Amino acid sequence: MSAPEPPVTATPRPPRLTYVLLPIALAGLGIASLPGRAATEGADPTLAALTEGLDGTRAALKSANLELPYYQQLVVWELEGVSIQATSGVDAALDHRLGRSLDVDLRLGSMQLDNTHKIRDASWFSTPERPQFNAPLAAGPALVELVWRATDEVYRSARRQLTKVRANDSVKVKRDDLSDDFSLAPVVAYQAPPARLVVDEAAWQSTLRDVSALYLNYPTIYDSSALLNVERHERWLVNNEGSRVHDGRLRYRAATWAETVAEDGMRLSVYDYVDAATADHLPSREDFLSMARRVANTVLALRNAPVIEPHTGPAILRGRAAGVFFHEIFGHRIEGMRQKDEDEGQTFTDRVGELVLPAILSVHDDPTQARYGDTDLNGAYLVDDEGVSSEPVTLVERGILRNFLMSRAPVEGFSRSNGHGRRQPGNDVVARQGNLRVEAHQTVSEARLRELLIAEIKRQNKPFGLMFDDISGGFTFTGRSTPNAFSVQPVTVWRVYPDGRPDELVRGVDLIGTPLTTFSRILAASDQVDVFNGVCGAESGWVPVSAIAPSLLIGEVEVQRREKENDRPPLLPPPTLVPGPGGPV
Amino acid sequence: MSGAVLGVGLAWAGSAILTALTEELDRSRTLSLPDAAPPYFVAYDVLDGEMCTAFAELGALVSLRNERYRTLRAEVRTGDYSFDSSNFSAFGEREGVEQVRLPIADDLLALRREIWLATDRAYKGAVEQLSRKQAARHGNGDARPADFEKRAPVVSHRLHEAVPLQDQALAALVTSLTATLTETPAIEVGQAVVRQWEGQRYVVTSEGTQLEMPTGYTVLRVEAVTRLADGSRERDARSWVVRSPEDLPPEAELRAEVAEMAAWLDALHDAPAEPDYLGPVIFEGQAAIELFSQLLAGEITGTPAVEEELQNGELPSSGPVQARLGRRLLPRGWTVTDEVSAHPETPAWYAYDHEGVPPASVELVRDGVLVDVLMSRIPREDRASSTGHARAVRAARRAALPGAVEVRPARQSSARRIRRLALDASALAGHDYVLVVKQIEPPAIHEQFDVTYSGEGPPAGLTQPFEVERLYRDGRREPVRSLSFLGVDRGALRDIEAAGPMVPAATLLDGPAGTGRFAIGPTGGIPVWWSVPTVLVAEVELRSRAGGEHRVIAAPRVGSVD
Repeated sequence: MSAPEPPVTATPRPPRLTYVLLPIALAGLGIASLPGRAATEGADPTLAALTEGLDGTRAALKSANLELPYYQQLVVWELEGVSIQATSGVDAALDHRLGRSLDVDLRLGSMQLDNTHKIRDASWFSTPERPQFNAPLAAGPALVELVWRATDEVYRSARRQLTKVRANDSVKVKRDDLSDDFSLAPVVAYQAPPARLVVDEAAWQSTLRDVSALYLNYPTIYDSSALLNVERHERWLVNNEGSRVHDGRLRYRAATWAETVAEDGMRLSVYDYVDAATADHLPSREDFLSMARRVANTVLALRNAPVIEPHTGPAILRGRAAGVFFHEIFGHRIEGMRQKDEDEGQTFTDRVGELVLPAILSVHDDPTQARYGDTDLNGAYLVDDEGVSSEPVTLVERGILRNFLMSRAPVEGFSRSNGHGRRQPGNDVVARQGNLRVEAHQTVSEARLRELLIAEIKRQNKPFGLMFDDISGGFTFTGRSTPNAFSVQPVTVWRVYPDGRPDELVRGVDLIGTPLTTFSRILAASDQVDVFNGVCGAESGWVPVSAIAPSLLIGEVEVQRREKENDRPPLLPPPTLVPGPGGPV
Repeated sequence: MSGAVLGVGLAWAGSAILTALTEELDRSRTLSLPDAAPPYFVAYDVLDGEMCTAFAELGALVSLRNERYRTLRAEVRTGDYSFDSSNFSAFGEREGVEQVRLPIADDLLALRREIWLATDRAYKGAVEQLSRKQAARHGNGDARPADFEKRAPVVSHRLHEAVPLQDQALAALVTSLTATLTETPAIEVGQAVVRQWEGQRYVVTSEGTQLEMPTGYTVLRVEAVTRLADGSRERDARSWVVRSPEDLPPEAELRAEVAEMAAWLDALHDAPAEPDYLGPVIFEGQAAIELFSQLLAGEITGTPAVEEELQNGELPSSGPVQARLGRRLLPRGWTVTDEVSAHPETPAWYAYDHEGVPPASVELVRDGVLVDVLMSRIPREDRASSTGHARAVRAARRAALPGAVEVRPARQSSARRIRRLALDASALAGHDYVLVVKQIEPPAIHEQFDVTYSGEGPPAGLTQPFEVERLYRDGRREPVRSLSFLGVDRGALRDIEAAGPMVPAATLLDGPAGTGRFAIGPTGGIPVWWSVPTVLVAEVELRSRAGGEHRVIAAPRVGSVD
């Protein structure tokens, strides 16, 4: 009953190399379309406690003649969750959780150079560990006390760091990017607390039992599960500029997965899910059962599918695969901080105004968008984690690079935030994607896209092309010390033959490549658009994201063998209650 | 699904878990792989229960969590009792043990599926582990003890008397206790955690052992921190380990102890920083228990360490140091016994250990010399049999752990005589006072990252003292601060000059000495009961650790007082 093996894993502190996208966490959103009210600490005890702590610590620093942080922000996060899981037709787990944490962000020095400035040529472990603070469940004196203690700890750490930053700036050559470390932003007052978390646990347990029991009909599915996760995220944010935010979201995920082992030892797992912002957007019992049937049939089909050899050739990335593809190989490279970090590959830093994608494509990121069609978008939010209102951004306009995803850390030519400063609680904020959307200005039908693929296979004289139907995740390297490569892990890949033979499901490969080469080979896009909802792991932790893209025809992709397990399938048949020769087995 | 369970012949009426375990155990006998030995021993160990954990800080509840859990540890051994797949480790390689969560529903088929998969993985791990061990032993003719002791099966049913989780009451308790700490403005961290664990352990083995045993305990720990004017950070803690919440002392008594701890930390603001000290030390109260727990436990447990393969695939030329019979551990006349069965009132009591062996009464130290050791079913050269002390956390190897240890001196002196002896000895060392250690940091809440991360013990062998006083000849006591032990190891026990009155016996949560002991966390571990006397150790070295980074923003309560 172990969870499905994640297709990729993230190291706790990646050396600015690896960014991971997974569909494993909760999704959905509860605030996006709310108009919101101005948040006032007077009516909200948590905002009041934070404001008292903020004002009190600043007064204490001032009275002690200590340098005042030019920016000081306090955030309390509350996470309430319910997880229900069933396996083999019975309840496997029911878990409730509730907790609060505190983040203290402060900047010493000046906007031009502060304690958050990156120390160049530093060792991996030179960045001080960010302290974590559990917060009381209720506002009151204990929270104020915690703010004082946490601020003291963070202030002392910032003071040490600023000393090192200044020395480093003196010792090192002139920076390539002379932009400031921080930018001004309008004051935000916003209040849209999330709805209460209400889950009909008994009804969901019943549904999950039924869904998970379905897998018992498939003897070679060795492990499987059905689960519901519901989380209520609530946030209170105050800063010394005067912003006051109290908001949150509800996130639902209904998911199921099944695992088998092929005769060659390869473990094969298929995971499917629906993310939603409200309970009524979750699948019905019947739809959930259909999803499980699809999962079962897919995993068993994969078990019997041939393993594909390493190959290059034309391919179609369909639906969610195209979204993940763009998130990984494009989205991470237009995050603002990578444009000024001299350890980064800076693929696009100097290419603003230049053609970087085929002219048929534009790319936007719009966190203000709550839904796409009938699908709730994971990456939606109205105020980012630096107290800045989120904005829709056109990153690429008909192939030409126009903008970057910006937090309040400027880069040359882009001096203000567009509301993309994001983080998982307990991490430093950096610029991240929200709802990345690839727009195709010239499209063909799916059927026509397939005809174009076959034509391309023939033109290249290849024995087959590939069609990537669904993916489980991916990662990319953006730093200079490693190849700027990406890897996307498909779940279902089909061989498409030019001679009319039926498409053939294959297994055992990952899609790999490098960004500029791959972008240059995008040939066409379809009129069918799909949404990938997931969570993305990078420097500032795991944040919910969405990627929306049409199916894409790419002139050449490369696949490599996937890492494979080698254990034999289980040696004994699965247990059953049906008596066999010699009694029940 | 549940209804179908009843259709199968139940070995244990009403217990789907035992039925599932025995049925999969029967099937495991047919496991085989080409050119590999089948399992000769399979053991399942299931922990089934629920627990609640409440955490509060300075009078406010931070978290309250109720958990239902059911975990399986499946162990498969291949080979035979004399030479099998166990007691060997190659870095990063899997072994013949698997731990998984089981469904919480009493459904036979669902339970069996998880047991089936875990057994399958454990068997494959055991086969590979045995081959690695055989390869490492090639050309190595050293005589070695058997790997596992054969035992007659035991069958026992002891059902847990269900005690409802008292989550709300316990949450209120930790909130109230930490609110006590807010009355002392100088305390900057004041937190309390409590866990009530109620459950049942099931052990089923291929030898025929079938056990149902109640398990669980309640642990309460309160910890506080203050920062002194010179930047020194001073901590103190109190712990209670009992069978169930009803066994905790009355709240008023708990509050009084917490208040006393807070007063101690407050007094440290006026206390002198003790300079480096070399001389006699009196260990009394909790400090005496920690002294023996930390320095003696590893000397009386006899399970040999695993063989660890070197990077070149060979075995090291000499095995790790282990408790050695005949070693003098204590002064002449002292005895140490472990008698779990004699203390049924304590949370450390058990009827059978985790390998299904009842605990024997063991005389460990006679006249100060180690004459016997506590054993699990893993033999060593001079001890072939288990004493029923195999207890471990999670999936860890079933090594011996003390159960209920009583340390008795040859003779006990009065507290007054101990003080006089100490002061006389101290004068010879050039002091006009003697240090008295009253509280020592429990290893479970050790903060030093490199120690807790690696699982290795602190180099000095004893964690730092929390409460130390100077005792003068006129009876005056004066708190001192900012000290750590230097180089205190088992030799300190031999240097015990005299014993005073017995301190109130107490149960600690502990782990095996060495790896893991510092990572069990404030609410984890195995209950171990200790009864020890106050002791005077002839010479102990303590080093001053005064100083540190000053807090720049004083706590608001301090500010308001000023």
